[in-house]
Amino acid sequence: MIRLVPEWARHYEEFWAAIRKRNIWFIKLRYAAILALLVFIVISEYILDFSLTYFQVYSLLIIATAILVYNVILHLVKDRIKEIPGKFNVLHFSLLQILLDLLSLALIVYLTGGAVSPLYYLFIFHMIIGSLILPGKVVYTLAVSIIFYFLIFSLLEFYKYIPHQYLSGYIGTSIYDNFKYILISNFIFSFVILTSVYFANGIARQLYKLEQDLVESFDKLHKAEIEKQKYIMAVVHEIKSPLTVVITYLDIILSKMLGPLPEQIEERIDRAIIRVREAVGLINNVLRISKLRLLDEIVYEEYEIGQLVENVLSARKSNLESKRISTETIDQRKDKITLLGDKFLIEMVISNLLSNAIKYTSHDGNIKIALWIESGYTKLSISDDGIGIPKSDLEKMFGDFFRASNAKRDGFEGTGLGLSIVKQVVEKHHGTIVIDSPSDIGKEGKPGTQATISLPLKQESTDSKLKKHVE
Amino acid sequence: MALIAVIDDDLDIIDASSLVLKTHGFDVVTATNPDDGYRIIKEHKPDLIILDVIMNEPDDGFFLAQKLRKEGISIPIIMYTSVSKALGVQYDKGEMVPVDEFVEKPISPEQLLKKINDLLEAKGKEKK
Repeated sequence: MIRLVPEWARHYEEFWAAIRKRNIWFIKLRYAAILALLVFIVISEYILDFSLTYFQVYSLLIIATAILVYNVILHLVKDRIKEIPGKFNVLHFSLLQILLDLLSLALIVYLTGGAVSPLYYLFIFHMIIGSLILPGKVVYTLAVSIIFYFLIFSLLEFYKYIPHQYLSGYIGTSIYDNFKYILISNFIFSFVILTSVYFANGIARQLYKLEQDLVESFDKLHKAEIEKQKYIMAVVHEIKSPLTVVITYLDIILSKMLGPLPEQIEERIDRAIIRVREAVGLINNVLRISKLRLLDEIVYEEYEIGQLVENVLSARKSNLESKRISTETIDQRKDKITLLGDKFLIEMVISNLLSNAIKYTSHDGNIKIALWIESGYTKLSISDDGIGIPKSDLEKMFGDFFRASNAKRDGFEGTGLGLSIVKQVVEKHHGTIVIDSPSDIGKEGKPGTQATISLPLKQESTDSKLKKHVE
Repeated sequence: MALIAVIDDDLDIIDASSLVLKTHGFDVVTATNPDDGYRIIKEHKPDLIILDVIMNEPDDGFFLAQKLRKEGISIPIIMYTSVSKALGVQYDKGEMVPVDEFVEKPISPEQLLKKINDLLEAKGKEKK
């Protein structure tokens, strides 16, 4: 079977999708054409008084029925045609449709006057449609066949080998036996057909090529983005190594293995360790973002979100105590339900939200953590009565490096990387996150912020990303 | 006293680890590349190995660990890694990489000592 697939159609998917769409379009258009043919018969008979002979009327009706029959068949089988290049595929299906249509049209044109039929322009229309999908060779072959068909029929009629059919009520006496007319109409017809095919085919080709270039450029961009992320990971990772050495040395000094430390120095080294750990924390965040973007997948394991909340609270105990922030955890879930996801990343999300709450809550403030289940989702909200977030900033806050205007003004330290990761992690788990301000425990002058994450209770068990199941 | 081999291409990590270990009464042998590491392990038969995952190549440490296990050497291995989850490589205990403990850098001296003592204790019990 001829492959038909043009060599420039390198991106098969888009190409096939376009052909499929056109096939459906042809079928729909054909129903309209059948209707048009019937309307033509009625109008020519009763309104325009073309005085069709019985032979013409019955033949046209038979043709209309034949078109209807093959169109219904095409309609029924269209979904069974596959896109396998080597076999009968959707492209052959298009060619088949065009051939059937050309045959029907050839008969209609013959019945309505041949070279003097008002309908022979429709050949041009068919050839333009054909040019949009078929490769050049096939369309040109079709075009030349039509030109020959037209020439041969007009000559056969001219030499009276076959009876001439025409619309006597339309043109009175037909000029099918006028040689000059036959010559000129054939010449112009051939010229128009060939030039239409040439232009339409060229334009279609260009369009496909443009589309493919676009797809290729997009692929390249995507690859470049991945390369960039890999590069960032490598660089950031290189920065992390010396920092870990610094921490290790400072730890050793602080543990007094090398000898006693004056209190003043001990305090500063303690601070130094905190600050370097902060840097390592940031680096880890960047690495995690890159990983999320690079691999676009997470490892699934079972976890209990209440347990993660407890872990995070105990890890942040000293921060909470030093600011005398009181916390309250309200767990409204009836049972402890395990969720599926990357435990480490979810814990990071909770930790991130809690540390934001701590950071932006003043001394003696309050933080409320609530857990509940609502329409198939486990919900976790962390509310504080801190400085809150201005309304104008609420929408922008999930961007990389975003920090609320009042946070910058009030001199809070931070990089703004947190929420961007949090959102990505939650979304990778098919969940959502909403940040509100004021919060449900906000007060006058202390509006507070409330972060609510929703995580689906059930991941589809068929999830292809379900890689690992840890007991 | 227990002998511990530290294999890492970062001289400062070797220095810091040796310092911590020696202060706490361990004997230490060190190497800065997988080949020397293999040599000192064969030569000194340490009680525990601390191995960095990345040396010249990103998975040098793994290959050394695998090589040792293939030869039937069952000395406990603690693997230093600063990659783990961050690089998207999931290293699980026993899965592919036959090491006893993964430790993400930086690790505090106390934590390191605790891991070492736990592993040595477990090994001691096994022998009895």
